[in-house]
Amino acid sequence: MKEFLPKRIWQWFERTRVGRSIFRVGLPQSNLERAQAMVSSFLLHVQPAKVNRHSLRASYSFGLGLISLYLFLILTFTGVLLMFYYVPSTDHAYNVMKDLQFVVSAGLIMRNMHRWAAHLMVIFVLLHMCRVFYTGAYKRPREFNWVLGVGLFLLTLGLSFTGYLLPWDQLAYWAITVGTNIAAYAPYVGPELKYVMLGGNAVGQEALIRFYALHVIVLPAIAGFMIAVHLFRVRKDGGLSRPDEPGDTVEQVELSRLPTNKTYGLMELARGTTPQVGRNPEDEVFSWPHLIFRELLLFLLVVAAVLFLAVFWNAPLEQLANPVHPPNPAKAPWYFLGLQELVSYSAFWGGVVVPGVLVAALVLLPYLDHNRKGVGRWFARERVVANTIFTVCLVIAIVLTIIGTLFRGPNWSWQEPWKKPPAVTESH
Amino acid sequence: MNPIAPDKQVSRRGFFELTLGWIAAMFAACASAVGAVRFLVPNVLFEPSLVFKAGKPEDFPDGSVTFLDEERVFLVRQGNTFRCLSAICTHLGCTVNRTGQGYHCPCHGSVFDDQGGVKSGPAPRALEWFLVTLSKDSRLLVDKNQRVNSDKYLVL
Repeated sequence: MKEFLPKRIWQWFERTRVGRSIFRVGLPQSNLERAQAMVSSFLLHVQPAKVNRHSLRASYSFGLGLISLYLFLILTFTGVLLMFYYVPSTDHAYNVMKDLQFVVSAGLIMRNMHRWAAHLMVIFVLLHMCRVFYTGAYKRPREFNWVLGVGLFLLTLGLSFTGYLLPWDQLAYWAITVGTNIAAYAPYVGPELKYVMLGGNAVGQEALIRFYALHVIVLPAIAGFMIAVHLFRVRKDGGLSRPDEPGDTVEQVELSRLPTNKTYGLMELARGTTPQVGRNPEDEVFSWPHLIFRELLLFLLVVAAVLFLAVFWNAPLEQLANPVHPPNPAKAPWYFLGLQELVSYSAFWGGVVVPGVLVAALVLLPYLDHNRKGVGRWFARERVVANTIFTVCLVIAIVLTIIGTLFRGPNWSWQEPWKKPPAVTESH
Repeated sequence: MNPIAPDKQVSRRGFFELTLGWIAAMFAACASAVGAVRFLVPNVLFEPSLVFKAGKPEDFPDGSVTFLDEERVFLVRQGNTFRCLSAICTHLGCTVNRTGQGYHCPCHGSVFDDQGGVKSGPAPRALEWFLVTLSKDSRLLVDKNQRVNSDKYLVL
Protein backbone atom coordinates (compact mmCIF):
# COMPACT_ATOMS: atom_id res chain seq x y z
CA MET A 1 0.00 0.00 0.00
CA LYS A 2 1.32 3.40 -0.95
CA GLU A 3 1.88 5.94 1.83
CA PHE A 4 0.18 9.31 1.87
CA LEU A 5 2.16 11.65 -0.45
CA PRO A 6 3.19 14.38 2.06
CA LYS A 7 4.45 11.62 4.35
CA ARG A 8 6.53 10.12 1.56
CA ILE A 9 8.01 13.55 0.78
CA TRP A 10 8.81 14.01 4.48
CA GLN A 11 10.43 10.56 4.69
CA TRP A 12 12.56 11.37 1.66
CA PHE A 13 13.55 14.72 3.20
CA GLU A 14 14.55 13.28 6.58
CA ARG A 15 16.92 10.85 4.85
CA THR A 16 18.74 13.63 3.01
CA ARG A 17 21.88 15.12 4.52
CA VAL A 18 20.11 18.38 5.32
CA GLY A 19 17.14 16.62 6.88
CA ARG A 20 19.36 14.41 9.03
CA SER A 21 21.30 17.45 10.23
CA ILE A 22 18.11 19.08 11.47
CA PHE A 23 16.14 16.09 12.77
CA ARG A 24 18.57 13.51 14.16
CA VAL A 25 15.68 11.11 14.59
CA GLY A 26 13.15 10.91 11.81
CA LEU A 27 9.54 9.89 12.21
CA PRO A 28 9.94 7.22 14.91
CA GLN A 29 9.48 3.60 13.84
CA SER A 30 10.46 1.84 17.07
CA ASN A 31 10.10 2.44 20.80
CA LEU A 32 13.76 3.43 20.98
CA GLU A 33 13.21 6.06 18.30
CA ARG A 34 10.02 7.24 20.03
CA ALA A 35 12.08 7.99 23.12
CA GLN A 36 14.93 9.50 21.07
CA ALA A 37 12.55 11.76 19.15
CA MET A 38 11.33 13.30 22.39
CA VAL A 39 14.78 13.74 23.89
CA SER A 40 16.56 15.07 20.80
CA SER A 41 14.12 17.83 19.91
CA PHE A 42 14.35 21.23 21.58
CA LEU A 43 10.60 21.74 21.61
CA LEU A 44 9.74 18.18 22.63
CA HIS A 45 12.40 17.57 25.28
CA VAL A 46 10.47 19.82 27.67
CA GLN A 47 8.22 16.79 27.97
CA PRO A 48 9.10 13.32 29.20
CA ALA A 49 9.76 10.44 26.82
CA LYS A 50 7.11 8.40 28.60
CA VAL A 51 4.03 9.65 30.34
CA ASN A 52 1.71 8.12 32.91
CA ARG A 53 -1.65 7.02 31.56
CA HIS A 54 -3.41 8.88 34.34
CA SER A 55 -1.90 12.18 33.15
CA LEU A 56 -3.40 11.65 29.71
CA ARG A 57 -6.94 11.28 30.98
CA ALA A 58 -8.91 14.29 29.75
CA SER A 59 -11.40 13.87 32.60
CA TYR A 60 -8.62 14.47 35.11
CA SER A 61 -6.90 17.67 33.92
CA PHE A 62 -9.32 18.76 31.16
CA GLY A 63 -6.18 20.16 29.52
CA LEU A 64 -6.86 23.49 31.26
CA GLY A 65 -3.22 24.47 31.78
CA LEU A 66 -2.37 23.56 28.21
CA ILE A 67 -5.33 25.58 26.93
CA SER A 68 -4.07 28.58 28.94
CA LEU A 69 -0.62 28.15 27.37
CA TYR A 70 -2.11 27.96 23.87
CA LEU A 71 -4.13 31.11 24.52
CA PHE A 72 -0.92 32.84 25.64
CA LEU A 73 0.73 31.78 22.36
CA ILE A 74 -2.25 33.01 20.32
CA LEU A 75 -2.13 36.31 22.24
CA THR A 76 1.59 36.67 21.58
CA PHE A 77 1.17 35.99 17.87
CA THR A 78 -1.82 38.30 17.32
CA GLY A 79 -0.35 40.87 19.71
CA VAL A 80 2.90 41.13 17.78
CA LEU A 81 0.93 41.59 14.55
CA LEU A 82 -1.20 44.33 16.15
CA MET A 83 2.01 46.09 17.26
CA PHE A 84 2.92 46.67 13.61
CA TYR A 85 0.02 49.16 13.37
CA TYR A 86 -0.53 50.37 16.91
CA VAL A 87 0.74 53.81 17.98
CA PRO A 88 0.73 54.48 21.75
CA SER A 89 -0.40 58.08 21.40
CA THR A 90 -3.64 59.64 22.60
CA ASP A 91 -3.97 61.29 19.17
CA HIS A 92 -3.54 58.11 17.14
CA ALA A 93 -4.45 55.06 19.22
CA TYR A 94 -8.21 55.27 18.66
CA ASN A 95 -7.78 55.92 14.93
CA VAL A 96 -5.64 52.78 14.70
CA MET A 97 -8.53 50.80 16.19
CA LYS A 98 -10.82 52.15 13.47
CA ASP A 99 -8.17 51.34 10.83
CA LEU A 100 -7.89 47.80 12.15
CA GLN A 101 -11.66 47.47 11.93
CA PHE A 102 -12.22 48.96 8.52
CA VAL A 103 -8.96 49.31 6.55
CA VAL A 104 -6.34 46.72 7.46
CA SER A 105 -6.72 43.29 5.83
CA ALA A 106 -7.68 40.79 8.54
CA GLY A 107 -7.19 43.59 11.08
CA LEU A 108 -10.64 43.05 12.53
CA ILE A 109 -10.03 39.30 12.93
CA MET A 110 -6.66 39.88 14.62
CA ARG A 111 -8.08 42.39 17.09
CA ASN A 112 -11.11 40.20 17.79
CA MET A 113 -8.92 37.12 18.32
CA HIS A 114 -6.65 39.08 20.65
CA ARG A 115 -9.57 40.35 22.71
CA TRP A 116 -11.47 37.05 22.95
CA ALA A 117 -8.31 35.04 23.64
CA ALA A 118 -7.52 37.49 26.47
CA HIS A 119 -10.95 36.98 28.04
CA LEU A 120 -10.68 33.21 27.58
CA MET A 121 -7.23 33.17 29.14
CA VAL A 122 -8.55 34.80 32.32
CA ILE A 123 -11.32 32.17 32.44
CA PHE A 124 -9.08 29.20 31.71
CA VAL A 125 -6.29 30.20 34.09
CA LEU A 126 -8.97 30.47 36.79
CA LEU A 127 -10.46 27.09 35.81
CA HIS A 128 -6.97 25.59 35.83
CA MET A 129 -6.49 26.90 39.36
CA CYS A 130 -9.83 25.36 40.39
CA ARG A 131 -8.80 22.01 38.89
CA VAL A 132 -5.49 22.03 40.76
CA PHE A 133 -7.29 22.91 43.98
CA TYR A 134 -10.10 20.35 43.73
CA THR A 135 -7.63 17.56 42.90
CA GLY A 136 -5.32 18.57 45.76
CA ALA A 137 -2.48 18.87 43.27
CA TYR A 138 -0.80 21.76 45.11
CA LYS A 139 0.39 19.54 47.96
CA ARG A 140 3.96 18.42 48.52
CA PRO A 141 6.15 18.47 46.47
CA ARG A 142 4.21 20.85 44.22
CA GLU A 143 3.73 23.73 46.69
CA PHE A 144 6.01 26.17 44.92
CA ASN A 145 4.51 25.46 41.51
CA TRP A 146 1.13 26.49 42.95
CA VAL A 147 2.71 29.76 44.11
CA LEU A 148 4.11 30.31 40.60
CA GLY A 149 0.63 29.58 39.28
CA VAL A 150 -0.91 32.23 41.54
CA GLY A 151 1.72 34.66 40.19
CA LEU A 152 0.80 33.73 36.63
CA PHE A 153 -2.90 34.30 37.40
CA LEU A 154 -2.11 37.81 38.69
CA LEU A 155 0.09 38.43 35.64
CA THR A 156 -2.79 37.35 33.40
CA LEU A 157 -5.03 39.92 35.08
CA GLY A 158 -2.26 42.56 34.82
CA LEU A 159 -1.73 41.84 31.13
CA SER A 160 -5.44 42.04 30.47
CA PHE A 161 -5.79 45.27 32.48
CA THR A 162 -2.86 47.06 30.82
CA GLY A 163 -4.15 45.99 27.40
CA TYR A 164 -7.53 47.46 28.26
CA LEU A 165 -6.27 51.06 28.09
CA LEU A 166 -4.63 50.77 24.68
CA PRO A 167 -7.71 51.30 22.42
CA TRP A 168 -8.17 54.70 24.15
CA ASP A 169 -11.94 54.54 24.08
CA GLN A 170 -14.36 55.45 26.87
CA LEU A 171 -14.30 51.94 28.29
CA ALA A 172 -10.49 52.00 28.41
CA TYR A 173 -10.15 55.47 29.88
CA TRP A 174 -12.59 55.04 32.76
CA ALA A 175 -11.66 51.46 33.58
CA ILE A 176 -8.06 52.62 34.07
CA THR A 177 -9.14 55.72 36.01
CA VAL A 178 -11.10 53.54 38.42
CA GLY A 179 -8.40 50.86 38.59
CA THR A 180 -5.52 53.20 39.36
CA ASN A 181 -7.59 55.04 41.97
CA ILE A 182 -8.16 51.71 43.70
CA ALA A 183 -4.35 51.29 43.78
CA ALA A 184 -4.10 54.74 45.41
CA TYR A 185 -5.94 53.39 48.48
CA ALA A 186 -3.05 51.01 49.23
CA PRO A 187 -1.48 51.85 52.61
CA TYR A 188 1.66 54.06 52.71
CA VAL A 189 2.67 53.89 49.03
CA GLY A 190 -0.78 54.16 47.39
CA PRO A 191 -0.72 57.74 46.05
CA GLU A 192 2.91 57.42 44.93
CA LEU A 193 2.13 54.12 43.23
CA LYS A 194 -0.72 55.72 41.30
CA TYR A 195 1.52 58.66 40.34
CA VAL A 196 4.24 56.36 39.00
CA MET A 197 1.74 54.09 37.21
CA LEU A 198 0.12 57.05 35.46
CA GLY A 199 3.27 59.15 35.09
CA GLY A 200 1.18 62.08 36.34
CA ASN A 201 -2.01 62.92 38.19
CA ALA A 202 -4.58 61.77 35.62
CA VAL A 203 -4.83 59.19 32.84
CA GLY A 204 -3.21 60.78 29.79
CA GLN A 205 -0.40 60.36 27.27
CA GLU A 206 2.13 59.39 29.94
CA ALA A 207 -0.16 56.70 31.33
CA LEU A 208 -0.86 55.32 27.85
CA ILE A 209 2.80 54.81 26.99
CA ARG A 210 3.52 53.30 30.40
CA PHE A 211 0.70 50.80 30.07
CA TYR A 212 1.87 50.06 26.52
CA ALA A 213 5.42 49.28 27.67
CA LEU A 214 4.07 47.08 30.47
CA HIS A 215 1.64 45.33 28.12
CA VAL A 216 3.94 44.56 25.19
CA ILE A 217 7.23 43.77 26.89
CA VAL A 218 7.52 43.89 30.68
CA LEU A 219 4.57 41.68 31.66
CA PRO A 220 4.80 39.24 28.70
CA ALA A 221 8.53 38.75 29.35
CA ILE A 222 7.91 38.01 33.05
CA ALA A 223 4.94 35.77 32.18
CA GLY A 224 6.93 33.90 29.52
CA PHE A 225 9.76 33.25 31.95
CA MET A 226 7.38 32.15 34.70
CA ILE A 227 5.51 29.83 32.32
CA ALA A 228 8.85 28.20 31.47
CA VAL A 229 9.65 27.68 35.16
CA HIS A 230 6.07 26.48 35.80
CA LEU A 231 6.37 23.79 33.10
CA PHE A 232 9.89 22.85 34.23
CA ARG A 233 8.59 22.36 37.75
CA VAL A 234 5.73 20.14 36.54
CA ARG A 235 8.38 17.69 35.34
CA LYS A 236 10.74 18.13 38.28
CA ASP A 237 7.87 17.56 40.71
CA GLY A 238 7.07 14.23 39.08
CA GLY A 239 4.59 15.10 36.34
CA LEU A 240 0.89 15.62 36.92
CA SER A 241 -0.39 14.64 40.34
CA ARG A 242 -2.00 11.20 40.51
CA PRO A 243 -3.59 9.12 43.24
CA ASP A 244 -1.27 6.11 43.20
CA GLU A 245 1.91 8.16 43.30
CA PRO A 246 4.58 6.01 44.95
CA GLY A 247 5.83 7.74 48.06
CA ASP A 248 9.49 7.57 47.13
CA THR A 249 9.07 9.50 43.89
CA VAL A 250 8.05 12.59 45.82
CA GLU A 251 10.95 12.53 48.29
CA GLN A 252 13.41 15.28 47.58
CA VAL A 253 17.04 14.28 47.96
CA GLU A 254 18.62 16.74 50.34
CA LEU A 255 22.05 17.41 48.89
CA SER A 256 23.34 18.74 52.18
CA ARG A 257 22.62 15.43 53.95
CA LEU A 258 24.67 13.36 51.53
CA PRO A 259 28.17 12.37 52.62
CA THR A 260 30.68 14.60 50.89
CA ASN A 261 33.59 12.18 50.86
CA LYS A 262 32.48 10.33 47.75
CA THR A 263 31.59 11.21 44.19
CA TYR A 264 28.11 10.90 42.75
CA GLY A 265 26.67 10.11 39.40
CA LEU A 266 23.50 11.86 38.38
CA MET A 267 21.46 8.73 39.09
CA GLU A 268 22.12 9.07 42.79
CA LEU A 269 21.00 12.69 42.91
CA ALA A 270 17.64 11.95 41.34
CA ARG A 271 14.66 11.34 43.59
CA GLY A 272 13.80 8.05 45.17
CA THR A 273 15.67 4.79 45.10
CA THR A 274 17.10 4.85 41.64
CA PRO A 275 17.88 3.02 39.46
CA GLN A 276 14.68 1.10 40.03
CA VAL A 277 16.07 -2.24 39.02
CA GLY A 278 13.70 -5.14 39.13
CA ARG A 279 10.62 -3.02 39.55
CA ASN A 280 7.58 -3.19 37.37
CA PRO A 281 7.44 -0.21 35.08
CA GLU A 282 4.84 2.35 36.03
CA ASP A 283 1.68 2.56 34.01
CA GLU A 284 3.32 4.61 31.28
CA VAL A 285 3.02 4.98 27.54
CA PHE A 286 5.31 6.71 25.05
CA SER A 287 4.75 10.46 24.75
CA TRP A 288 5.15 10.07 21.01
CA PRO A 289 2.46 9.69 19.79
CA HIS A 290 0.06 9.46 22.76
CA LEU A 291 0.81 12.86 24.35
CA ILE A 292 1.90 14.72 21.22
CA PHE A 293 -1.23 13.78 19.32
CA ARG A 294 -3.51 14.96 22.13
CA GLU A 295 -1.59 18.22 22.45
CA LEU A 296 -1.79 19.00 18.74
CA LEU A 297 -5.49 18.11 18.68
CA LEU A 298 -6.16 20.42 21.62
CA PHE A 299 -4.17 23.22 19.97
CA LEU A 300 -6.31 22.84 16.87
CA LEU A 301 -9.49 23.01 18.96
CA VAL A 302 -8.35 26.12 20.85
CA VAL A 303 -7.36 27.99 17.68
CA ALA A 304 -10.64 26.97 16.04
CA ALA A 305 -12.66 28.15 19.03
CA VAL A 306 -10.91 31.55 19.18
CA LEU A 307 -11.25 31.97 15.42
CA PHE A 308 -14.94 31.08 15.64
CA LEU A 309 -15.53 33.75 18.29
CA ALA A 310 -13.50 36.30 16.32
CA VAL A 311 -15.41 35.69 13.09
CA PHE A 312 -18.88 35.97 14.60
CA TRP A 313 -18.44 38.54 17.40
CA ASN A 314 -16.59 41.83 17.23
CA ALA A 315 -14.48 43.13 20.12
CA PRO A 316 -16.27 46.10 21.69
CA LEU A 317 -15.04 49.59 20.91
CA GLU A 318 -16.78 52.52 22.50
CA GLN A 319 -16.49 56.20 21.67
CA LEU A 320 -13.19 58.07 21.79
CA ALA A 321 -11.99 58.58 25.36
CA ASN A 322 -13.55 61.64 26.94
CA PRO A 323 -11.86 62.67 30.22
CA VAL A 324 -14.83 64.88 31.11
CA HIS A 325 -17.76 62.46 30.99
CA PRO A 326 -17.58 58.97 32.41
CA PRO A 327 -20.06 56.61 30.77
CA ASN A 328 -22.96 55.87 33.09
CA PRO A 329 -22.44 53.34 34.61
CA ALA A 330 -18.65 53.31 34.26
CA LYS A 331 -17.56 49.70 34.51
CA ALA A 332 -14.18 48.01 34.81
CA PRO A 333 -13.39 44.88 32.74
CA TRP A 334 -15.77 42.04 33.68
CA TYR A 335 -13.20 40.10 35.73
CA PHE A 336 -12.81 43.17 37.96
CA LEU A 337 -16.55 43.81 38.34
CA GLY A 338 -16.74 41.67 41.48
CA LEU A 339 -14.00 43.91 42.84
CA GLN A 340 -15.85 47.01 41.65
CA GLU A 341 -18.99 45.77 43.39
CA LEU A 342 -16.97 45.41 46.62
CA VAL A 343 -15.39 48.82 46.03
CA SER A 344 -18.87 50.36 45.78
CA TYR A 345 -19.31 49.50 49.48
CA SER A 346 -15.85 50.60 50.60
CA ALA A 347 -12.80 51.43 48.52
CA PHE A 348 -10.31 50.49 51.22
CA TRP A 349 -11.94 47.25 52.43
CA GLY A 350 -13.18 46.16 49.02
CA GLY A 351 -10.31 47.42 46.92
CA VAL A 352 -7.31 46.70 49.10
CA VAL A 353 -8.02 44.50 52.14
CA VAL A 354 -10.23 41.78 50.60
CA PRO A 355 -8.13 41.23 47.43
CA GLY A 356 -4.92 41.48 49.49
CA VAL A 357 -6.10 38.83 51.96
CA LEU A 358 -7.34 36.60 49.12
CA VAL A 359 -4.01 36.73 47.27
CA ALA A 360 -2.07 36.11 50.50
CA ALA A 361 -4.33 33.15 51.31
CA LEU A 362 -3.81 31.68 47.82
CA VAL A 363 -0.02 32.07 48.04
CA LEU A 364 0.20 30.55 51.54
CA LEU A 365 -2.41 27.83 50.92
CA PRO A 366 -0.01 24.93 50.14
CA TYR A 367 2.03 25.73 53.26
CA LEU A 368 -1.01 26.09 55.53
CA ASP A 369 -2.73 22.91 54.37
CA HIS A 370 -1.05 20.06 56.27
CA ASN A 371 -3.45 17.40 55.06
CA ARG A 372 -1.39 15.10 52.80
CA LYS A 373 -4.38 13.01 51.73
CA GLY A 374 -6.65 13.26 48.73
CA VAL A 375 -4.09 14.03 46.02
CA GLY A 376 -4.94 13.20 42.42
CA ARG A 377 -8.68 12.73 42.79
CA TRP A 378 -11.47 15.19 42.17
CA PHE A 379 -13.38 16.31 45.29
CA ALA A 380 -11.66 13.77 47.56
CA ARG A 381 -13.68 13.15 50.74
CA GLU A 382 -10.55 13.67 52.85
CA ARG A 383 -10.48 17.29 51.65
CA VAL A 384 -14.08 18.21 52.34
CA VAL A 385 -13.19 21.19 54.59
CA ALA A 386 -10.69 22.74 52.19
CA ASN A 387 -12.98 22.14 49.22
CA THR A 388 -15.93 23.73 51.04
CA ILE A 389 -13.97 26.88 51.97
CA PHE A 390 -12.63 27.25 48.43
CA THR A 391 -16.07 26.70 46.89
CA VAL A 392 -17.69 29.30 49.15
CA CYS A 393 -15.05 31.91 48.20
CA LEU A 394 -15.41 31.01 44.53
CA VAL A 395 -19.20 31.26 44.58
CA ILE A 396 -19.07 34.63 46.37
CA ALA A 397 -16.60 35.94 43.76
CA ILE A 398 -18.79 34.67 40.90
CA VAL A 399 -21.99 36.10 42.42
CA LEU A 400 -20.33 39.51 42.98
CA THR A 401 -19.03 39.47 39.40
CA ILE A 402 -22.48 38.62 38.03
CA ILE A 403 -24.07 41.38 40.12
CA GLY A 404 -21.49 43.91 38.94
CA THR A 405 -21.82 42.82 35.33
CA LEU A 406 -25.56 42.37 34.89
CA PHE A 407 -27.37 43.91 37.83
CA ARG A 408 -25.80 47.36 37.99
CA GLY A 409 -27.32 50.10 35.89
CA PRO A 410 -26.88 53.87 35.68
CA ASN A 411 -25.39 55.43 38.84
CA TRP A 412 -24.46 51.88 39.93
CA SER A 413 -28.01 51.39 41.17
CA TRP A 414 -29.72 48.00 41.24
CA GLN A 415 -31.06 47.15 37.80
CA GLU A 416 -32.55 43.85 36.69
CA PRO A 417 -31.06 43.12 33.26
CA TRP A 418 -34.46 42.21 31.78
CA LYS A 419 -35.94 45.62 32.64
CA LYS A 420 -35.41 48.83 30.72
CA PRO A 421 -33.07 51.17 32.61
CA PRO A 422 -34.71 54.37 33.87
CA ALA A 423 -33.91 57.62 32.11
CA VAL A 424 -30.94 59.32 33.76
CA THR A 425 -31.47 62.96 34.59
CA GLU A 426 -28.27 64.91 34.28
CA SER A 427 -27.88 68.61 34.42
CA HIS A 428 -24.68 70.54 34.57
CA MET B 1 44.96 32.48 65.88
CA ASN B 2 42.76 34.22 68.37
CA PRO B 3 43.01 32.11 71.57
CA ILE B 4 39.67 33.33 72.93
CA ALA B 5 37.42 32.63 69.98
CA PRO B 6 39.36 30.71 67.34
CA ASP B 7 36.25 30.12 65.19
CA LYS B 8 35.30 33.79 65.09
CA GLN B 9 38.60 34.94 63.65
CA VAL B 10 38.28 36.83 60.38
CA SER B 11 41.05 36.46 57.87
CA ARG B 12 42.37 39.48 56.02
CA ARG B 13 40.92 38.14 52.81
CA GLY B 14 37.56 37.47 54.45
CA PHE B 15 37.48 40.98 55.88
CA PHE B 16 38.06 42.59 52.52
CA GLU B 17 35.59 40.26 50.84
CA LEU B 18 32.96 41.40 53.32
CA THR B 19 33.70 45.11 53.42
CA LEU B 20 34.71 45.78 49.85
CA GLY B 21 33.14 42.95 47.90
CA TRP B 22 29.74 42.30 49.42
CA ILE B 23 29.00 45.80 50.66
CA ALA B 24 29.97 47.25 47.30
CA ALA B 25 27.76 44.70 45.54
CA MET B 26 24.82 45.50 47.83
CA PHE B 27 25.37 49.21 47.35
CA ALA B 28 25.47 48.83 43.56
CA ALA B 29 22.28 46.74 43.56
CA CYS B 30 20.43 49.24 45.78
CA ALA B 31 21.66 52.22 43.78
CA SER B 32 20.53 50.57 40.53
CA ALA B 33 17.10 49.86 42.00
CA VAL B 34 16.73 53.41 43.35
CA GLY B 35 17.89 54.85 40.04
CA ALA B 36 15.42 52.73 38.06
CA VAL B 37 12.51 53.68 40.32
CA ARG B 38 13.48 57.36 40.35
CA PHE B 39 13.72 57.26 36.56
CA LEU B 40 10.05 56.32 36.42
CA VAL B 41 8.93 59.32 38.49
CA PRO B 42 8.37 62.19 36.07
CA ASN B 43 9.98 65.56 36.83
CA VAL B 44 7.88 67.61 34.42
CA LEU B 45 4.15 67.16 33.87
CA PHE B 46 2.58 68.19 30.59
CA GLU B 47 -0.79 68.66 32.21
CA PRO B 48 -3.05 71.75 32.17
CA SER B 49 -2.31 74.39 34.80
CA LEU B 50 -4.26 74.03 38.03
CA VAL B 51 -4.89 77.80 38.07
CA PHE B 52 -7.37 78.94 35.45
CA LYS B 53 -9.72 81.78 34.55
CA ALA B 54 -13.34 80.70 34.59
CA GLY B 55 -14.75 83.76 32.81
CA LYS B 56 -16.52 86.97 33.68
CA PRO B 57 -18.74 86.98 36.79
CA GLU B 58 -21.74 88.10 34.73
CA ASP B 59 -21.42 84.97 32.54
CA PHE B 60 -22.88 82.98 35.42
CA PRO B 61 -26.52 83.81 36.20
CA ASP B 62 -27.69 84.17 39.77
CA GLY B 63 -28.48 80.83 41.41
CA SER B 64 -26.71 78.83 38.70
CA VAL B 65 -24.42 75.82 38.99
CA THR B 66 -22.28 75.68 35.85
CA PHE B 67 -20.18 72.67 34.87
CA LEU B 68 -16.85 73.59 33.30
CA ASP B 69 -15.93 70.67 31.01
CA GLU B 70 -12.22 71.12 30.63
CA GLU B 71 -11.53 71.78 34.29
CA ARG B 72 -13.99 69.25 35.75
CA VAL B 73 -15.40 71.76 38.28
CA PHE B 74 -18.79 73.31 39.05
CA LEU B 75 -18.99 77.09 39.38
CA VAL B 76 -21.69 77.95 41.92
CA ARG B 77 -23.22 81.45 42.05
CA GLN B 78 -25.69 82.48 44.72
CA GLY B 79 -26.58 86.17 44.70
CA ASN B 80 -23.25 87.96 44.47
CA THR B 81 -21.20 85.10 45.88
CA PHE B 82 -19.06 82.72 43.86
CA ARG B 83 -17.63 79.33 44.79
CA CYS B 84 -15.99 76.51 42.86
CA LEU B 85 -16.68 72.81 43.57
CA SER B 86 -14.55 69.91 42.30
CA ALA B 87 -16.46 67.47 40.07
CA ILE B 88 -13.97 64.67 40.75
CA CYS B 89 -15.46 62.04 43.03
CA THR B 90 -13.31 61.50 46.12
CA HIS B 91 -13.93 57.75 45.85
CA LEU B 92 -12.25 56.64 42.62
CA GLY B 93 -11.93 59.75 40.48
CA CYS B 94 -14.99 59.64 38.21
CA THR B 95 -16.72 62.89 37.20
CA VAL B 96 -19.88 63.46 39.24
CA ASN B 97 -23.15 64.58 37.64
CA ARG B 98 -25.47 67.25 39.01
CA THR B 99 -28.82 65.68 39.87
CA GLY B 100 -31.55 67.79 41.46
CA GLN B 101 -30.03 69.63 44.39
CA GLY B 102 -26.95 67.44 44.79
CA TYR B 103 -24.37 65.44 42.90
CA HIS B 104 -24.24 61.79 41.89
CA CYS B 105 -21.25 59.69 40.87
CA PRO B 106 -22.05 57.25 38.05
CA CYS B 107 -19.22 54.84 38.80
CA HIS B 108 -20.03 53.56 42.27
CA GLY B 109 -23.12 55.49 43.24
CA SER B 110 -21.85 58.03 45.77
CA VAL B 111 -24.39 60.79 46.46
CA PHE B 112 -23.33 64.28 47.56
CA ASP B 113 -25.51 67.16 48.79
CA ASP B 114 -25.37 70.66 47.31
CA GLN B 115 -22.53 71.55 49.72
CA GLY B 116 -20.49 68.60 48.45
CA GLY B 117 -20.98 66.60 51.65
CA VAL B 118 -21.36 62.82 51.38
CA LYS B 119 -24.99 61.74 51.75
CA SER B 120 -24.53 58.09 50.85
CA GLY B 121 -22.26 55.72 48.96
CA PRO B 122 -18.62 54.75 49.31
CA ALA B 123 -17.01 58.22 48.96
CA PRO B 124 -14.70 58.73 51.96
CA ARG B 125 -14.65 62.56 51.88
CA ALA B 126 -16.75 65.49 50.72
CA LEU B 127 -16.15 66.99 47.28
CA GLU B 128 -13.45 69.66 47.42
CA TRP B 129 -14.01 73.42 47.19
CA PHE B 130 -11.36 75.52 45.47
CA LEU B 131 -10.30 79.10 46.11
CA VAL B 132 -11.99 81.64 43.82
CA THR B 133 -10.55 85.14 43.44
CA LEU B 134 -10.92 87.95 40.93
CA SER B 135 -8.10 88.53 38.46
CA LYS B 136 -6.85 91.97 37.48
CA ASP B 137 -8.90 91.86 34.26
CA SER B 138 -12.08 91.11 36.27
CA ARG B 139 -12.26 87.39 35.53
CA LEU B 140 -13.03 84.68 38.08
CA LEU B 141 -9.72 83.01 38.92
CA VAL B 142 -9.86 79.46 40.30
CA ASP B 143 -6.83 77.90 41.98
CA LYS B 144 -7.22 74.12 42.22
CA ASN B 145 -4.09 73.94 44.37
CA GLN B 146 -5.87 75.72 47.21
CA ARG B 147 -8.69 73.94 48.94
CA VAL B 148 -11.10 75.94 51.08
CA ASN B 149 -14.10 75.26 53.31
CA SER B 150 -17.55 75.26 51.76
CA ASP B 151 -18.43 78.49 53.57
CA LYS B 152 -15.69 80.54 51.92
CA TYR B 153 -17.13 82.76 49.17
CA LEU B 154 -15.89 85.31 46.73
CA VAL B 155 -18.26 88.23 47.28
CA LEU B 156 -18.60 90.83 44.56
